[in-house]
Amino acid sequence: MKDRLFRDILPRVAKPARYTGSELNMIKKDWEQAGVKMVFAFPDVYEVGMSHVGGKILYGLVNEKSRHLLERVFAPWPDMEAIMREEQIPLFSLESFRPVLDFEVLGFSLQYELSITNVLNMLDLAGIPLWSRERDEAHPLVIAGGPVVFNPEPFAEFFDIFIIGDGEEVLLEFLDQVEASRGLERLEKLKRLAAIEGVYAPALYSVEYREDGTLKSFAPMFPGVPARVRKRVVKDLDQAYYPDKPLVPYMEITHDRAVLEVMRGCQRGCRFCHAGIVYRPVRERSLEILENQARRQLQNTGYEEISLASLSSLDYSGIDPLLKALVGNYGEKGIGVSLPSLRVDAFSIDLANEVQKVRKTTLTLAPEAGTQRLRDIINKNVSEEQLLEAVEAAFKSGWLSLKLYFMIGLPGEREEDLEGIIEILQKVKYIGDKYSRRPVEIRASLASFVPKAHTPFQWRPQNTMAELDSKQQFLSRRRRKRIKLSFHDSRTSYLEGAIARGDRRLAPVIYLAWQKGCKFDAWSEYFNFDCWQDAFRECAVDPEFYTGRQRPYEEDFPWDFIDIGVSKDFLQEEDQKAEEGLTTADCRQEGCSDCGICPAMEVSLNIKGGNVDAIEKQI
Amino acid sequence: MRLRSRYRVGPELKFLGNLDMMHLMERSLRRAVIPYALSEGFNPHIKLSMGTVLPVGLWGENEYFDLELSQRMDTIDFRQKLSAALPSCLQLEECQEIADGAPSLMKIINAASYVFLLEPPFPSLDKWKEELLARPSLTVRSRGKKKGLDKELRTGIYRIEVEQSLNFGRVEIWVAVGEPVNVRYDELGELLLQTGFTQKSIAEVFRSGNYIREGSSYLSPLEVLLDKHTSPCGHSWCSTLRCHY
Repeated sequence: MKDRLFRDILPRVAKPARYTGSELNMIKKDWEQAGVKMVFAFPDVYEVGMSHVGGKILYGLVNEKSRHLLERVFAPWPDMEAIMREEQIPLFSLESFRPVLDFEVLGFSLQYELSITNVLNMLDLAGIPLWSRERDEAHPLVIAGGPVVFNPEPFAEFFDIFIIGDGEEVLLEFLDQVEASRGLERLEKLKRLAAIEGVYAPALYSVEYREDGTLKSFAPMFPGVPARVRKRVVKDLDQAYYPDKPLVPYMEITHDRAVLEVMRGCQRGCRFCHAGIVYRPVRERSLEILENQARRQLQNTGYEEISLASLSSLDYSGIDPLLKALVGNYGEKGIGVSLPSLRVDAFSIDLANEVQKVRKTTLTLAPEAGTQRLRDIINKNVSEEQLLEAVEAAFKSGWLSLKLYFMIGLPGEREEDLEGIIEILQKVKYIGDKYSRRPVEIRASLASFVPKAHTPFQWRPQNTMAELDSKQQFLSRRRRKRIKLSFHDSRTSYLEGAIARGDRRLAPVIYLAWQKGCKFDAWSEYFNFDCWQDAFRECAVDPEFYTGRQRPYEEDFPWDFIDIGVSKDFLQEEDQKAEEGLTTADCRQEGCSDCGICPAMEVSLNIKGGNVDAIEKQI
Repeated sequence: MRLRSRYRVGPELKFLGNLDMMHLMERSLRRAVIPYALSEGFNPHIKLSMGTVLPVGLWGENEYFDLELSQRMDTIDFRQKLSAALPSCLQLEECQEIADGAPSLMKIINAASYVFLLEPPFPSLDKWKEELLARPSLTVRSRGKKKGLDKELRTGIYRIEVEQSLNFGRVEIWVAVGEPVNVRYDELGELLLQTGFTQKSIAEVFRSGNYIREGSSYLSPLEVLLDKHTSPCGHSWCSTLRCHY
């Protein structure tokens, strides 16, 4: 297989290094000696999938810490897919070049709603039936995890199992149970696996819908199967596994650097933010452990850059000493430190200056909305004053280009909020031109707001495509010179919205869209909205039902049975506060906001990075 | 201190681009904790310079890089440390110190050899070679800068060696790099297809060497160094066979 690939197949495709494997630090375990054989599947191209930190964690965890084996597979790019189909090459893993069909468990990472068509395409390439009900003991168990599965229902009929929450907390337990249940018939196997906390087997539940389309009932069909599935949580990040020897790809990937996960979760409480709710509570990693991880990762990879990853890395309580240590230890060797996300304040700019002593390229800030009123509605606790201070600090210290993130279509948005965006951009540009010798470049990225399950805005209607388009035009008309605006495709956002709050009745639509050729939907060059529209029409499913309704508070949602630890009451209170324009402070700052996560997960706020003074100074 | 090294790129790495190979080498140098020198400026980088680009799809038996160190290091020590950090499909074969002012690999390499491994059926290789070299003109469609235009290769084809048995064939072609005409391996491939070979019969292609060609002799970038005392220019700092200054 490998010889054929290297000789006949790969010379014909673009970027063949996507399919060759044998990267530095690859772990290829002995097939015969291993326990359960699992393949980790990322439903996007190699460069994207290899950048994903969760995959690196699970890869090291299973291969280093257990007798089981975990190999990798990514979605082949369409040129490779065409040749694979023509030459009848089944989807294969990058470690042993075995067909995916040979594995016992096939685990997909779902990072984004629209990657589902790639999942179906990969199953098809692997020769595995797409529908869970059509698979039997001869097929791998098809499972999924990741942020998308906090509402697994639109995908329920394609997967045998979903794993909810922090994968490293549950995967080894899961694989042990898979091994122990060998030889059992499928249903029995599913029941045993579903007994593990955080494991959801959709086939064990019955779902009924009312005539108006809303959820009527959702219940387990067998005794012993839990009515609610609680997410799994790593309680102490210091005790959790993190790889010291991550894979180093040969070809350039999207995030081509060493990564330190300084914390998980975020308690800022922005009301639009899915990750900010489902990854609660905040768990920090100790400074000392991070420094050791940095040293070992750099030793084992030779990377020229190390990045601090989390939802809001500058909120890490030890950020100041950590950055100083990293710059101090590695700066001389030409190894850089990068901060993917900055907070909107002058303190952040000081830190950004610290890590980028020489090269000042683009700085990114996210005010998200154009007026204070709307920022209060979404609980983005940033004032215009703070923003302009940050901008001034940035341009004063030599940055030449600034990128700002905004959203359009937010609940309660008015015309003045859109005008507010333009005003902010002009003020930013004015400050830039005042301090910089060269004309500065201002770029704004305007995403369309998509209400997500498990957030305070889960009851809200999403803007229609027409509304979004007219808002985009409104902004484009008011654009000024040397301010660049870029928009999200409103059709992508619409589809994403339908799936994000969807239910099991979307499965035939997704299947049909895939049959019509949809794949790589997240890539604008492959996104084909017409096919999706046809699929909805032919299945007689109205996407408006999922996106357009103001949902009543008493409605039961298809994702309510997923227990994320944050209470639905809290989400509703937050939505009501949004209506009144009231903000909720970070609970690290002004006391508990009663979201329910700490008692539910039996954790308490875990701030490790530095002394209390330092924390207060930053907040 | 400057070092010149010869290395082998195994078939497993034949799909790497030039930039990928640079990254691989730089990351290996960091893992091996080699005291590399960094360039000055806003974006310091390791003072590493690779020889001529190994095209994507080819492996290489004899490739070269020059590296500048910030402090002296024994070449044996260097080779051991770096070898331990390299992937197994990339081997460091040889390493020597060169003069600080020695011209770069890119400047001195002016010839290369490519090997085509063949599977039957293919024409008689001796006859094929004789006929090919007898032809005054060999044109192919250019794959380089002037894509699509006709390109005359004849003056850039220096030497051909063939080897043939019942079920195996080997053709090695020495060609010009840069001047008088830059001959690419895929253009040689097309030449083979024009003269009686099929795509199916070409089992494998690799670059067997990079040279400094002087008349009829082909010296490797490391062999050139051995000749430094006989260098006709007489410069004490000059480490090449022929002074380029």
